[in-house]
Amino acid sequence: MSLSRSPSPIPGGGWATPGLTINSSGRTSPAPAYAASSPVNWEPTSRSRGNANNGYPSFSTQNRGFFHRHMRNISNSLPRFSISAPNNPAYGEKEKLNRGRPSCLGRFYNKIPLVPRIIDAFWKSSRKFKARFFLAVLLFIGWIVFYNSPGIYYWRRNVGGGDKFVIILGANVGGGVMEWKGAREWAIERDSIRNKRKYVSRWGYNLEIIDMATKKKYAHEWRESWEKIDAIRNAFKKYPDAEWFWWLDLTTLVMEPSYSLQDHMFNNLDDVTYRDINYYNPLNITHPFPDDWLDPVSRSPVGDGKPSSVNLVLSQDCSGFNLGSFFIRRSTWSERLLDVWWDPVAYEQKHMEWAHKEQDALEALYTAQPWIRKHTAFVEQRKINSFPPGACSENGEDEKVHYNRDGGDFLMNMAGCEWGRDCWGEMYKYRELSYYLNRNPWERFKEDLVAVVWEKLTGQKVKL
Amino acid sequence: MHLAYPPRKSSTAGKYMPRQKMPRISRNKKTAIIIGSILVFFWWLLFSGSKRTSVHPSASKGVAEHFPTGKPSVVMVTVLDTSFPKEYTDSIKQNREEYANMHGYGTLISKVGDYDLHGSPFSWSKVVAMRHAMAKYPDAKWIWYLDQDGFIMDPKTRLHDLISDKALEQAMIKDQPVVPPDSIIKTFTHLKGQEVELVLTQDKDGISVGSFAVRNGEWAKFMLDTWYDPMYRSYNFQKAEIHAMEHILQWHPTLLSKLAVIPQKLINAYQTEKDGDQFQDGDFVLRLTGCTKGDGEKSCDREGGRIAQKWRTAFKNA
Repeated sequence: MSLSRSPSPIPGGGWATPGLTINSSGRTSPAPAYAASSPVNWEPTSRSRGNANNGYPSFSTQNRGFFHRHMRNISNSLPRFSISAPNNPAYGEKEKLNRGRPSCLGRFYNKIPLVPRIIDAFWKSSRKFKARFFLAVLLFIGWIVFYNSPGIYYWRRNVGGGDKFVIILGANVGGGVMEWKGAREWAIERDSIRNKRKYVSRWGYNLEIIDMATKKKYAHEWRESWEKIDAIRNAFKKYPDAEWFWWLDLTTLVMEPSYSLQDHMFNNLDDVTYRDINYYNPLNITHPFPDDWLDPVSRSPVGDGKPSSVNLVLSQDCSGFNLGSFFIRRSTWSERLLDVWWDPVAYEQKHMEWAHKEQDALEALYTAQPWIRKHTAFVEQRKINSFPPGACSENGEDEKVHYNRDGGDFLMNMAGCEWGRDCWGEMYKYRELSYYLNRNPWERFKEDLVAVVWEKLTGQKVKL
Repeated sequence: MHLAYPPRKSSTAGKYMPRQKMPRISRNKKTAIIIGSILVFFWWLLFSGSKRTSVHPSASKGVAEHFPTGKPSVVMVTVLDTSFPKEYTDSIKQNREEYANMHGYGTLISKVGDYDLHGSPFSWSKVVAMRHAMAKYPDAKWIWYLDQDGFIMDPKTRLHDLISDKALEQAMIKDQPVVPPDSIIKTFTHLKGQEVELVLTQDKDGISVGSFAVRNGEWAKFMLDTWYDPMYRSYNFQKAEIHAMEHILQWHPTLLSKLAVIPQKLINAYQTEKDGDQFQDGDFVLRLTGCTKGDGEKSCDREGGRIAQKWRTAFKNA
């Protein structure tokens, strides 16, 4: 039996024989087999010889504490530098062709060129290098674990500011009260909600699903539009830490879930939005206000021009404002807007004309009231609200309005699909397209390369 | 020809390593720095999200941040109907301007035809005039509208004292139906003086907008724009802007929550008891309600002439 480690030098000089006075285990009482206080005796005396012959080692190898108990295991698992033959650990062979090579010689990877050299070089490298290498490996593993764990969610939510955003999804439209809700309607709802859920869980946003069922509370032709406004107001209350609220109609799909709202919109709100509606003005609103009795900011085409004063971000489609997808920010201004948005006097006069209810009401407010105009900003429609070819189709395809898969459009809105178009068909088509566009590299490899090559070679289509 | 070549560098390397430019940091220091920066990083992680910067106590998020300095403290707004006799309108003008000079207030006296109302009744021009005054005096604290039938009878009373935060808290009528007697919408009971943005009075018919004050700021723009909405102008309210005001106050809490109704006598006393509180000597303002345009006994010209002596002496003595 060999010692598990060599004795260390002691201050007085000479070797400290293990098991004499050095008690690395912290145990004070010596092992029973010998007298711990006996002097070091290097001369083979009859006593020591007798001890050596009595079948016990001259010092205890048992019960010497954690380190001693486990040192063998630890050291066994450490790499060996021994050049001895694997079968006989006691003797090193004097001459052997492969000496100097790692002991794990028979492994398959040693036959690959360079690999044994690299392994060898690694073990011969300095301790510092190993420490650094170890750290790098640790970081790499940590990185992988982080991106595949809930950690990334909490990071994006709390540090990345994900909890500052709320998606309000108006689901269960009508609630089957006036019209029967069939399998397709349920499927649309399921798909739409799943799509938002996925997006939200990726970026750590909040999702508020609103039940837009026809309610008695709003069952009056002038009161229907309260529902959306009430929903936004309730969300303001429910998420007191959130800043931006994103209203989404049910028939919308996030096509590119890899875009975060921060990157896509809010980190550079100034560049993304335009305040001067003359840039794209399908409603022909006179802008800015011509009245000379207004203050300069109200008469300016861009308000005060600061992104901090933007409280409402929406897009315009071919016929004016579109509220299928818009952002509203928690602010005093928004409270005021939500308060005056719905007004019975306006609705009493206009309920026959305003087919789009709150959308028309907002257009009217924007047209008439300077305080609203100077806090409203617009984005290009395809930034947040791309249409399928069926919507806004009077003038054919319009690159400003309609979805373009090469443009990486963020959100799809099947606007107006309930008026004679196939909502479920469109939802399905764009859902599958979104999956297709967001395949991971492995899927791309399989489908774009392997399957294509296979088809060329064998003439058969395969699904991998 | 010998040129001054630079001295040749030795091809043998120097004996010693060149001195390191950066001073060596000891190991302990290094670990201390690393641990310190990690701590700072976590500190930043924990507390960077909770930024609560308030620029101004009354700063409301998301609206333009211009804070009126209060110069002048009050701007008086009157819209004159030039179809009335010139003597009468001149006396009104004089009354306003003298009072304004006395206390350093601003004035904006415009004429009924000055603003394009797109066909709405002329009484709406008071709203536009208020907005105009706000553009003209962006640093004013209060904008006070007084109809052209109103006269300042006691120039010693200063409006900004009457509607100072403390005075308002004393004077405002709490839990009062906005439209007496039976509106279920009532004025707030716990409103602080500094939260008040709109000061109104009520007469026997309901809200009176013959004399009212608005605190200059974003809320005022919001209120005036809402009030002036074409939907209200085209609606057949019986009393145009008065009923529109009653309507918006009752339907929109963001407007109601900034309203203080104060006793009519303070800024809006009437000539006769028929419509509201009657003027008594010592009251601040007298409004010749119900005076007519023509030349009759009840014409504004005659009635204005009758009280002219009174306010002129009061101004002289002040």
